[in-house]
Amino acid sequence: MRIGLLKRHSAVFIVYVILAILILTTGLLSDVFLTFRNLENLLRQVAPLGFVSVGQTFAILTAGIDLSIGSVVSMTSVLTTGMIEGQQQLVLPVLVLVFGLAILIGFINGTIISKTGVHPLIVTLGMMSVVQGGILLYTKAPTGSVPISYDFVAWGNVWKIPFPILLFASVATIAIIFLRLTVFGRYVYATGGNEEVARLSGIKTGRVKTIVYMICSFTAALTGIMLASRMGMGDPLVGERYMLDSIIPVLIGGTRLTGGVGGVAGTIGGIFIFIILSNALNLLDVTAYWQWIVEGLVVIVSVSLYFRQKR
Amino acid sequence: MSKNIVEMHQITKAFPGVLALDSVDFNCMQGEVHALVGENGAGKSTLMKILAGAYRPDSGRIILRGNDIAFHSPREAQRHGISIIYQEFNLIPDLSVAENIFLGREPQKRMGFIDNTSLSEKAQSLLEDLGVAIDLGMRVSELGVAQQQMIEIAKALSLNADIIMMDEPSAVVSGKELESLFRIIRTLKANKKAIIYISHRIDEIFQIADRATVLKDGKLVGTVQTSDVDKPKVVSMMVGRSLSETFPQRKKLKQKQEVLALKNVSREGFLKDISFNVHKGEILGIAGLVGAGRSELARAIFGADPIDMGEIILKEKIIKKSSPKNSIVSGIGFVTENRAHDGLIHSLSLRKNLTLAILERVKKWFYIRDRYEKEISKQSVDQFKIITPSIEQEVRYLSGGNQQKVILAKWININLSLLILDEPTRGIDVGTKSEVYTLMRRLADQGTAIIMISSELPEIIGMSDRILVMHDGEIMGVVSPDKATEEGILMMATGQKRTINKAEG
Repeated sequence: MRIGLLKRHSAVFIVYVILAILILTTGLLSDVFLTFRNLENLLRQVAPLGFVSVGQTFAILTAGIDLSIGSVVSMTSVLTTGMIEGQQQLVLPVLVLVFGLAILIGFINGTIISKTGVHPLIVTLGMMSVVQGGILLYTKAPTGSVPISYDFVAWGNVWKIPFPILLFASVATIAIIFLRLTVFGRYVYATGGNEEVARLSGIKTGRVKTIVYMICSFTAALTGIMLASRMGMGDPLVGERYMLDSIIPVLIGGTRLTGGVGGVAGTIGGIFIFIILSNALNLLDVTAYWQWIVEGLVVIVSVSLYFRQKR
Repeated sequence: MSKNIVEMHQITKAFPGVLALDSVDFNCMQGEVHALVGENGAGKSTLMKILAGAYRPDSGRIILRGNDIAFHSPREAQRHGISIIYQEFNLIPDLSVAENIFLGREPQKRMGFIDNTSLSEKAQSLLEDLGVAIDLGMRVSELGVAQQQMIEIAKALSLNADIIMMDEPSAVVSGKELESLFRIIRTLKANKKAIIYISHRIDEIFQIADRATVLKDGKLVGTVQTSDVDKPKVVSMMVGRSLSETFPQRKKLKQKQEVLALKNVSREGFLKDISFNVHKGEILGIAGLVGAGRSELARAIFGADPIDMGEIILKEKIIKKSSPKNSIVSGIGFVTENRAHDGLIHSLSLRKNLTLAILERVKKWFYIRDRYEKEISKQSVDQFKIITPSIEQEVRYLSGGNQQKVILAKWININLSLLILDEPTRGIDVGTKSEVYTLMRRLADQGTAIIMISSELPEIIGMSDRILVMHDGEIMGVVSPDKATEEGILMMATGQKRTINKAEG
């Protein structure tokens, strides 16, 4: 039984072992790492990457992928700041509009993917280009500003807990509950596990996929707004790195690219590994190029570990 | 007779939780066709994989040409002249016939260029030895399954194999193709090769094998000369009891209540003007050759494929918008032909597969009622005698017969009024087969209408209340099982005879 339990959750187990080792070694190597200030700073960084990675987990679980995530992050960031321009009374209507637009993009992605059967890689890559082009038509340089109250999103505290962490914790919890306990979650795993069987079991797999891409865009919008608040203005290229960065924690977390296996619990571990790794390398004064090399190696090593496990 | 080319003594192999082989002895002689038979999970494949070097035995000896030997890899076994042809072929679809035969061992010119002339010559002579005419330049993807099998055999010969194992070769070919396979096996036999033929089709064993070794639950039941025994004897060795009556008794239908009717249903290229009906409590058998449109018909009824024309009427209501979801809601279940591909979701547990089609009923708001789901799963496991360590086991770890039971249980859990079964007993062993038959008849007796597609004529005749024969997308006629003969059905299935156009009873 114990072996069975371990086997079923082996990927998640490995992720957290790697994470623990990482925290211990970094703590030993750097005096600054375990200070309150560094940890708080680190936790605040988790949220922007966290949202998109949770969204990406949904897409990858259905054997898809969303490469337009990065451009939607940029879009929401410049649109909010650009339209609000520091005016308090516009915050709410603009947020509603921006979220609506993001979700619409996800809906279009999902509909094209499920109706035409074109691979998500191609559809979302095309969508990325369309959205990014649109953003650059709107503005080519960082733009706009937000009212003071908007700072709360990135810098505020609730009961002394940083708001970004609180928001990420809620999003992650809801995602885990969704995937583990609801009918929709089961449909996501079934669609990714074997779409034909899922369809023949009466599951509307097209609808499942459409919703999944809407979730992706929604999480991208959360990240975009978080970044806009953090910087106080919108940057048309701020989301670029999230196209690939959102995928890495999902893979480190043991979700399989072929779909049907994995989950958000692993992804969260993957996010922390990713963030702590770059934080640690920063603290140890390692240049950014080395950081790339190390991060790439971590992805390859961890994913090969799961494949070894499988055999 | 000649002496043993290979002997396996007291082979034991355990996997976590199962003793797959328990002190099994096996031997094979030069120029002999030796059948290895047994139900699924009897240990046939494990024994062969040990001989092929894919597994290592926990204990026991392998003596090859008089010498003790232990293989550490399939490659090593190959070098010693042992080849195995699996059900799933190891061919590369986009390479040519000749390239496939010599894959990884291409004759080379200087600088590592492939010597195509010598490649073709060598491949040609191999195929000629086998008496097979296949164009060497053809890509494997353009060939039929039977021809691909021939290429696998040629590949084995190119490795100078003198022990050739075939794992269920007849699972993929039938009829004429099977005849040519047998012809090739006889050629190999005449060339002093040892052939180990794994199958659970008793008829074939008597056609082709000299001796047969029967395994059951990982133990050796015995090795017999096929000329000394008869079929019932081998069957009883396999199942450990005699199966005098394979098919359950039919009951006379008291009243005819129509469950499903098709009127002039057509689908371009697949179905032509199909009309028939099925009654409550009836098993309607659909016979026909591969490609006759039987599976397409099933998919059309279930709403998995669209139709161009005609009406599908379920319980006196015309189905307007047909989709798998609507079919399930109206109580139609569909067990597909290809269990490995579209029967189950292999990455999910037994429990999650069992309730996949009934989540609407298991849920409360949008939550899955965990305890209720477990209850349903446990009931199904008990009711269908599914052998599994737990309901949380991923279905890919179950044996073929148990997987089929999971599929049946999944559909019976919906509020079933019509069950469509496409080749329900393909690839499952005799024991499970008869369980499936009993279950089908019990369902029918409880009032479910059943459509059973099958390529096995004895099964069609033994199980059906009415038999519908298809050819080239059309219904050739309907026969009653007490008047049906295998020859008669075949005449219709090959399009040589047509009885009626309408098939309503």
